[in-house]
Amino acid sequence: MRAFLAIIRKELLEFLRSYGLFIVVLYSFTLDVYIAGNGINLDARNVSVGVVDYSPGFISNKILSDLHYPQFQEPVFFASQEKLNLAIRNKEIMVGIVFESDFGKRYHTGNNPVLNLLLDSTASAQSYLALNYIQHILMRFQDTLSFAPIEIQIHKLFNPNTSYSHFMALAELLSIITILAVILTAAVFVKEKENGTWDIMLLMPTDAKAVILAKSLSQVIIVMIGTTICVGTVLFGIFDLPINGSLAAFMLLTFFYAFTSAGIGLFIASVARNIMQVAQFSVLIMMPLLFLSGAWTPVYAMHPILECLSIISPLRYYIQGSESVFFRGTALIDLREYFAGVIVLGGVLFWYGFRKIGKLF
Amino acid sequence: MRIGVIKAYFKKELLDIYRSKLILMVYIMPSMLLILFGYGIKTEVTHTRTLIIDNDQSKASYDLVSTFEHSKYFNSETKNLSENRALNLIKQDKKDLIIIIPEAFEKHLLKGLKTSVGVYIDGSFPSRAKTIENYVNGVIYDAIMKRSGTEVDRALITINARNLFNQSLRDEDMIVPGVIGLVLLIAPAILSALLIVKEKENGTIFNFYSSPVKKSEFLAAKLLSVLLLHGINIFILFLWAIYLFELPFRGSFLLYIFSSFIYIIISLSVGLLVSIITSSQIVAYVLTLIITIIPGFLYSGMLMPISSMEGESVIEAHIYPVMYYTHILYDVFLVGDGLSASKNLLYLFILMGYAIILLTIGSLLLKKRIV
Repeated sequence: MRAFLAIIRKELLEFLRSYGLFIVVLYSFTLDVYIAGNGINLDARNVSVGVVDYSPGFISNKILSDLHYPQFQEPVFFASQEKLNLAIRNKEIMVGIVFESDFGKRYHTGNNPVLNLLLDSTASAQSYLALNYIQHILMRFQDTLSFAPIEIQIHKLFNPNTSYSHFMALAELLSIITILAVILTAAVFVKEKENGTWDIMLLMPTDAKAVILAKSLSQVIIVMIGTTICVGTVLFGIFDLPINGSLAAFMLLTFFYAFTSAGIGLFIASVARNIMQVAQFSVLIMMPLLFLSGAWTPVYAMHPILECLSIISPLRYYIQGSESVFFRGTALIDLREYFAGVIVLGGVLFWYGFRKIGKLF
Repeated sequence: MRIGVIKAYFKKELLDIYRSKLILMVYIMPSMLLILFGYGIKTEVTHTRTLIIDNDQSKASYDLVSTFEHSKYFNSETKNLSENRALNLIKQDKKDLIIIIPEAFEKHLLKGLKTSVGVYIDGSFPSRAKTIENYVNGVIYDAIMKRSGTEVDRALITINARNLFNQSLRDEDMIVPGVIGLVLLIAPAILSALLIVKEKENGTIFNFYSSPVKKSEFLAAKLLSVLLLHGINIFILFLWAIYLFELPFRGSFLLYIFSSFIYIIISLSVGLLVSIITSSQIVAYVLTLIITIIPGFLYSGMLMPISSMEGESVIEAHIYPVMYYTHILYDVFLVGDGLSASKNLLYLFILMGYAIILLTIGSLLLKKRIV
């Protein structure tokens, strides 16, 4: 037990003394999460609009005055359609609107008025959303409700303003936890392997199991401290992320998950001979697991084979579980599936990695 | 610079990369990233798990329900549950969307009275929630408009929308060029950083410090091997994009190759800069990942068009070289103006400027010294 604590202390001290690593880890848990939460926004906002208006302009100006902040920028007027086309090709304008000369007349007489839209669809998600916004604006403009008196009351639960920063910041934190738990654990062992001290460690009269466990635990502790700092300062402090479930549940899930990742790290460490290989293997193993986790495409929308495969991705349980805790406010009892997934996979991975790294020859 | 020395050093590097299995990372990682992201990032939402609560049970409501049932976007199920129990299903992540059709829905519609349909969407994944919202709006309005007849139709403004460059709004067309830009930023940077830091960590860098090898020769050998190895990736990624993801290629192939090589020079210079300030491989690796992935995503124009950025992010986007390269990439794949557009030419020159400046700074800062 004394040896166990001594190793943990030694590893933590070593971590604190390698300034470069310390700073990089601190950066990942704070600024990096902040940048991701602040910068990535998939909504169509502040879309640039270019207009060519051949019509007398009364109706068209009325429609244009409805295109405003935050969805749209102030429309830029072009003299001809060629100039508008050029601006779109140069990616200066994303949405081009062309009013034909008889637009106003057709609108007043009810004779199929047509609004021509040119959309730069290289960013297809945004252009689709922009199109939807314009449809909405036209609907409101013409008071479509008087033709079809139906009101669609949409309630977006858990995130009524569709804020992206909350989601992106949490997602980034989860991937940082994954990456660091795997790489840090693997690196701790491989460093000893590279220096040749690992064999000596195993030969020493201390229990090899205690050494391995202590070393992994030290890295788990680092990740847990980083997570606490991140949740406290960036998520709650800066982004004011509401948490609908229990924070303790999240921390507990993270603790188990960090051990699962450490298990993957152990496996990588037992296969890799140097840090370079750690880098390679961690990417090669983690990317497919991330892909299967349902972080990008929900699991139920995947190909059936992939859906089956995703059962073995511990990230799947962790990411969905954490999102449920933070956003959906799922009750603890309904989280059992996620806990079970993380713990079972973690147990297997850790046990396997443990056996592999602990073998001397 | 002596060619013989460079040649020998170069050969040694290639052998080293081959023997340390680093070659795996050089060739598997970029393709893997492209394939995973290309298939993985979908902005289209399909199979939304939908629960419809039909409190009306009339012809109009059946019509509405059946449009949801026949859409590939929704996996709908009709059940009679209380609102609270239905909401609990969203809370447990069992349903994404709940639609509640009120009583007397048909009656109100026929009389032209106002009626409302309640829609609850799981908002924890914001972009998915937004897309679902748009689908639902579209489906319901379409169904209602169909009932209201042609005179109304004629009076309403129709939108004649043309989606330029990506007619069918394919996700692959949007994602793949951006990911190529991302991959060609990350992979060469990591490789060049590791190649130099490895020597620092193992102490073999003293061979370079104390031998008559010149700094320029050392750098040329290291960087050339990265450039050559990743140069092949330019072609590999191109083949994946065209044959696997079936992207159109509308621009000039030469421009693609040329700008990509310049971009690799930029990214390996970034790796060179990282290798100067770090001394252990693990730090170099994580640092390179951090400084390349996020800007690579943010400023590629893949997630957010540069023209919609505001405030400081406009300036940041112009500082990072990512934006210039992806602009050219999207042009060669989707737009096809080539160098006839002055903007592409300008961006190409800016890229060359970056390559020269970063490479010069990197090689000036790398000191050949005996400590």
